[in-house]
Amino acid sequence: MPLPKIVSRAAGLAGGAGGKALQQLQHLRLPGAGQSSVTDDPRTAARRWRAVTVLTDPAQLRSSTPAPLAAFGDRLEVRVTQAPGERGAELAARFRGPVTEDEIGDLRAALREAKALAEVGEVLRVDPQPHGHRPATPQGAALEGMTEAAPKEGVL
Amino acid sequence: MRAATWTGVNDVSVETVPDPTLLNDHDAIIRVRKTTSCGSDLHLLGGYIPFMRAGDVLGHEFMGEVVEVGKGVRDRKVGERVVVNSFIACGHCWYCKQELYSLCDNGNPNPGITEGLWGQSPGGCFGYSHAVGGFAGSHAEYIRVPYADVGAFVVPEEVSDTRALFASDAVSTGWMGAELAGTKPGDVVAVWGAGGVGQMAARAAMLLGAERVYVIDRFPERLAQVRDHVGAEAIDYTATDVLAELREVTGGRGPDVCIEAVGMEAHSPGVPGVYDQVKQQLRLQTDRPTALREAIMACRKGGSVFVLGVFAAAVDKFPLGAMMNKGLTVRGAQVHGQRFMPRILGHMARGELTTEHLATHVMPLEQAAKGYQMFKDKEDGCVRAVFEPGS
Repeated sequence: MPLPKIVSRAAGLAGGAGGKALQQLQHLRLPGAGQSSVTDDPRTAARRWRAVTVLTDPAQLRSSTPAPLAAFGDRLEVRVTQAPGERGAELAARFRGPVTEDEIGDLRAALREAKALAEVGEVLRVDPQPHGHRPATPQGAALEGMTEAAPKEGVL
Repeated sequence: MRAATWTGVNDVSVETVPDPTLLNDHDAIIRVRKTTSCGSDLHLLGGYIPFMRAGDVLGHEFMGEVVEVGKGVRDRKVGERVVVNSFIACGHCWYCKQELYSLCDNGNPNPGITEGLWGQSPGGCFGYSHAVGGFAGSHAEYIRVPYADVGAFVVPEEVSDTRALFASDAVSTGWMGAELAGTKPGDVVAVWGAGGVGQMAARAAMLLGAERVYVIDRFPERLAQVRDHVGAEAIDYTATDVLAELREVTGGRGPDVCIEAVGMEAHSPGVPGVYDQVKQQLRLQTDRPTALREAIMACRKGGSVFVLGVFAAAVDKFPLGAMMNKGLTVRGAQVHGQRFMPRILGHMARGELTTEHLATHVMPLEQAAKGYQMFKDKEDGCVRAVFEPGS
């Protein structure tokens, strides 16, 4: 196999691995570094409320379910409560039934988008960004995989 | 357009890249007039922050002219000369309302990376890796500035481009350290690191009323700048015992406020330096905290230590016992610059805060690779390499 094709194939695999690695890192707790809200078994993790605090009047979120969460339809339970100390509203959601890790990732991203829409009126975009030559390397593809997965990962 | 990009560990090149475009309603496009290297860039160059992709545009400290604004921008206008804070903040979330702008909830589109590492995600930063958003940096002819009404400040007529440039990060970071550490009139303040941030922390402490300010470094040209341009006392740590020196000049108490402006690649002579180098290279610690350890040991009982230098994760031999038993307040942050920039620009306009001396090497953007090499090696007394796109 020609070298460029080998690198390209390795890069493709690495991209998937990068996203997966980021997912796995969320489960890892090292002394002094590493946090996770998903060390529960998958069944418990799926039932856990995932929440963001939104600096807005809770009534605004109660009047209509934010669009990114409404897109899940009846599969989600959505809860809005007053946050303490004039911090706004706590917007929480969880799935009613069985769910995959990927779907939990979609929920994390949707909660963050709902918060941004309520607070700023738009979701911050980063792509496309100006950049120079990006050679196809496994390390580069792994980072791209991580970056692609990053909005759906984290401690929510 | 032309831009300076990170192409690998200790490798910078200038190449042609696409022009930025407005992506959000609150964006502006700035034509960059001046953009500077920063000590924290060296952590990216050295591969200590492993979230850079080849081709990423570097640079986070800059000023320029507004050439385009999105339909949601209310305050900034095309043609204005502006300086932009290095951190990207929405201005609407709870953290922004507390003026903790670098902690913005909506400024980093990649929160999963830093939440996994630190438990929460800070805001975004220009040109500072995909861990803080993956935004293209300022070492380019043009840059997209999100939330332009929040992060871009009009430069007063009396302030030169070069003076304003450093309000973007060096001065606002230094000011934050001095102010949030609680510097009061009559205090003695010690600052570790005489780079741009350390010098400006010292100057800010003086403007906040500190009675005596000491800056610690080893490079003669930087120590000379401390004396000649900042007006503070300089201590060469290779020529004296810093802890003994600070005790001697503070009546045995130690400084009231200690500001660490060095970060994860601190240099130190002798066995401790070798120890930290070896542990870092073996990945048994990610950061070398030499200056931070010394700041904690030096600080008076009940005093305050502020960490301005950039750290990534874990350090070894952190003097937790000294911190606890001396009742210290230890605080740190990336820059909440939007909080301080209006005041800083006022001081600059009145001539109370000058920064032109930091720009020791001004060069066209095309020479960015050479500039970074000089900056990294402190060649020819380089304190900051400043790039002028389009020149």
